[in-house]
Amino acid sequence: MITKIVIAILALVLAPIAGALITGVDRRVTAWLQSRYGPPILQPLYDVLKLLGKEPMVTNTWQALCAYVYVVAAALSVVLLFIGSDLLLIFFVLTVGAVFLVMGALASPSPYSQVGGQRELLQMLAYEPLLILVFAAIAMVTGSFKVSAVFELSRPMLYDIPLMFIVLGYALTIKLRKSPFDISACHHAHQELVRGVYTEYSGPYLAMIEIAHWYEVILVLGFCGLFWSTSVVGMIVLVALTYLAEIIVDNVTARLTWRWMLKSAVGMGVVLTIVNMLWLYAQ
Amino acid sequence: MLDTLVFATVLLPFLVAAVLLVLREQNVRKVILVATAGVLVLASLAMLRGGAFILSPAPLYDSLVTLGDFVILLVVLFVGIKRRNQIIIWLTAAQILGLVWLDFFMVEGHGTTPAFFADDLSLIMVCIISIVGSLIAVYGIGYMKEHEEHLHLAKSKQPRFFFFIVLFLGAMNGLVLANNLLWMYFFWECTTLCSFMLIGHDDTEIARKNAERALWMNVLGGTAFLFGLIILQKVAGTLSLADILARGPEFAVAGGAILIPMFLLVFAGMTKAAQAPFQSWLTGAMVAPTPVSALLHSSTMVKAGVYIIVRLAPIYAGTYLSNFIALFGAFVFLATAALAAGQSNGKKVLAYSTISNLALIIACAGINTPAAITAAILLIIFHAISKALLFLCVGAIEQKIGSRDIEDMRGLYARMPRTAIITIIGVITMMLPPFGMLMAKWMAIESAQGQFLVMIMLALGSGLTVLFWCRWAGILLATPFGKPQPEAQACSVRLPLVILAAMAVLVSLASPFVYNGLVAPVVAMYYKAAAYTTSYGNFDSGSGVFIVYPLFVLLGLGLYFAVKQSRKVTAAQISAPYMCGEQQTVDGKAGFLGPLGQHVAAASGNYYLEQFFGEAMLSKWINVVALAVLVIMLFGGAL
Amino acid sequence: MLGNMINKGRIKSPWVVHFDCGSCNGCDIEVLACLTPIYDIERFGIINVGNPKHADVLLVTGTVNQRNKHVLKNIYDQMPGPKAVIAIGACGCTGGVFREAYNVVGGVDKVIPVDVYVPGCPARPEAIIDGVVAALEKVKTLLGMTA
Repeated sequence: MITKIVIAILALVLAPIAGALITGVDRRVTAWLQSRYGPPILQPLYDVLKLLGKEPMVTNTWQALCAYVYVVAAALSVVLLFIGSDLLLIFFVLTVGAVFLVMGALASPSPYSQVGGQRELLQMLAYEPLLILVFAAIAMVTGSFKVSAVFELSRPMLYDIPLMFIVLGYALTIKLRKSPFDISACHHAHQELVRGVYTEYSGPYLAMIEIAHWYEVILVLGFCGLFWSTSVVGMIVLVALTYLAEIIVDNVTARLTWRWMLKSAVGMGVVLTIVNMLWLYAQ
Repeated sequence: MLDTLVFATVLLPFLVAAVLLVLREQNVRKVILVATAGVLVLASLAMLRGGAFILSPAPLYDSLVTLGDFVILLVVLFVGIKRRNQIIIWLTAAQILGLVWLDFFMVEGHGTTPAFFADDLSLIMVCIISIVGSLIAVYGIGYMKEHEEHLHLAKSKQPRFFFFIVLFLGAMNGLVLANNLLWMYFFWECTTLCSFMLIGHDDTEIARKNAERALWMNVLGGTAFLFGLIILQKVAGTLSLADILARGPEFAVAGGAILIPMFLLVFAGMTKAAQAPFQSWLTGAMVAPTPVSALLHSSTMVKAGVYIIVRLAPIYAGTYLSNFIALFGAFVFLATAALAAGQSNGKKVLAYSTISNLALIIACAGINTPAAITAAILLIIFHAISKALLFLCVGAIEQKIGSRDIEDMRGLYARMPRTAIITIIGVITMMLPPFGMLMAKWMAIESAQGQFLVMIMLALGSGLTVLFWCRWAGILLATPFGKPQPEAQACSVRLPLVILAAMAVLVSLASPFVYNGLVAPVVAMYYKAAAYTTSYGNFDSGSGVFIVYPLFVLLGLGLYFAVKQSRKVTAAQISAPYMCGEQQTVDGKAGFLGPLGQHVAAASGNYYLEQFFGEAMLSKWINVVALAVLVIMLFGGAL
Repeated sequence: MLGNMINKGRIKSPWVVHFDCGSCNGCDIEVLACLTPIYDIERFGIINVGNPKHADVLLVTGTVNQRNKHVLKNIYDQMPGPKAVIAIGACGCTGGVFREAYNVVGGVDKVIPVDVYVPGCPARPEAIIDGVVAALEKVKTLLGMTA
């Protein structure tokens, strides 16, 4: 019990810092891919510190509320992951944050944030089933939805459900709004819909959203890491390779329409799941 | 004591209904309704405390029930002839013949089978019906007053309305307490008739048409029910539910013959629960006044359908029939969630989401493990509360703004702050943790593990669910900064809303106790094992863990913190939405300064994705597939 | 300490929003050139955002005219403080050759307070980057940080 509380507090404090550094590396690698020099690794931290110091500005009070609920839910889901809780439960807690983010965007009459909110809902519609399927497949292998059960395996899950890892990669591209699925909001210079679902969040509230985003980065990478649960080195290598692949995909693809996203995500997710499951049954 | 309680929950509503029918004095009606509601609530709670029982009333009642059966069938036949509806006429005629055969030639020794029996499942149902149903009836007082003012009726039709509403509650209580399946059949037909009368209450062209459709679909279910009973009597030699359940394992081993009546009864349940391809009667029932929809959708009618399916689950456990039921439920869950996503009509969204949730319950019954049955029972409880709440909210909103379209509810918080917040509470308790609905859905998904097709459909369906709830909650908040107008509302409308909202939160908070006290014993009784252990209020099993209280505490603290932060926002920090620098606010409406200095109001709408989720296009395919699954279920599972 | 860190963030992360107030597009192209790999302003943590609500620095190019002066004012008002304004190019600074035109109000400073003027027709990217840095120096002195 006490170890769990210690882990929870550590996750709460260290996850955003790690998330910030990973985002910083992401920007550096992206710059490198575009033959630029890029910002310092600590740049995401500077950005958020600055945002925290800005004057608060909202279109109505609901937005402030939603931004804070979003960060709380994101942090909670990371904590749940690190104390080895239930995968589906973590996913549902993550949904709380996503729902409040969209509610806050829809609470403003701005057309940009309205369209952004709707598109974010479509992104959720695309990645949520994929994540549930990935967790179901993990449960097939371990016999339980508990994260702790994954660590009792004798060999990495990647051997049993490699296709589900691809599904997870697809889902996390959509979740992190990386190109080609930066449909509801985009972190690149080429923007659409101003800033989509984030348009009306500003100053400290945007800072909250950025922090929540760091937590989410850690969360999805944590999910990836579960696939090589037998050794820490293997886990780190797998996560690093996955994220590198994400960054490269992010830089070499153009944005798709939401129709493409929905069709490809659901279609590919279901097909790969079925193939992988049949394979698992056959074994 | 027990007699009195059963009398109070079942017979009393029938008597009160009769009084209400002849009573024209408004104030007396109010008093009677509130008093009956109070009695029902207290009696159901007392019954819950008392626990399981078996009860045989005087033999006289047996004859009364038989008489009642024929009276209802003749009324339905009369309606069929008057409306010249061949389906109703022939199905009812078949039922009359079948009933004559069953009652007078097959069943021997009337009155030897105890009429009533209750275990925790029945008692939970009685509580839901009596508490949620009564609140809806009380809400009806204020609602119908305003409803009739809108319609400018010369003569109030309220006596008839409340006659059927209260009758409905009694019939539902009877249905869930019935042990003798003949009694259950009587109450089953009662609810069919009541729903027909209530859907057609406003007597418009469309109301008559939709009522007729509801009638023929439910009569079809009733026919299946009756013929199920006939075969059951032949196969098992008894119509006592308790006997059949006690001999469940023995039947399960024998397999074969028992599955045909089981299929017919489950099919009857599916028609009553408005599963595809019969979903159209429930969406058509929206023409009725809101208390009717609320009643049909949350605590009565459709819940009777899933009750029978969950009730019989132990008997068909481990059979192909069960697998097909799971598949069917999962398919309808996905299909109707997709239909809900394509709707902008608030009531239709609620209707399809009801069907979707019922399908989830049916899928759970089909998965048929202790965890799945636990999920099914919890879904019944939490869905009843939250859905009743949402319907009553939409009713109140509709009376105020004159529309039930979600798009017209944009920025509702400014006009109806309390109702808007309560609606959002309803929506959030439907889809987010740590509330009961989500927890039950968690159980459902985890117990579907291993049935991969079911799992895929559940995963896709729950994504859609979030889509249509979230955007609804979001646009209610689209208001400018400032204090909203205070909201005037009749007390009989406001109180049920507040009580239901409080229940939606508090019952979720008490979910470990509900589970330990009510659900676990009944599951353990039929499945020899409870699904979850609860330590410190956390649901734990081999396959997963759901932490209730830590989640409540942490998310609650988070919400408190967020509210505190949002309270700090001052008027000086408010800025207009970004509109490329051309923003202009006129009469509190945000918009652009357009060409020639004209104000162009900013308008936006939700994505309803008609090309994916269009009702007309999808329904056809859904009906075909659902029908196909049913046919396969009959031939592959039951025969 | 948090205050110091926030001040450091302010210096290290100036997000700019670019508003074309009626420019001939010469200065606009130069502003965008700053984003390219050759100049790479992201080195300084500068990001070009599309939304005044997210921006710290407003880059204005072109003259202000009667039709768009309210737009400029609105955009400025929608930037949460602390914020800075940089007028870019001859037109932005003074109205340039269009100064006497019948519909032209003049430079940006006729409508909103300007912190840094970057002259040129068009202003070179180096000059624009230099302008942003100069604005940061000004912010530093305002914040009481030692340069």
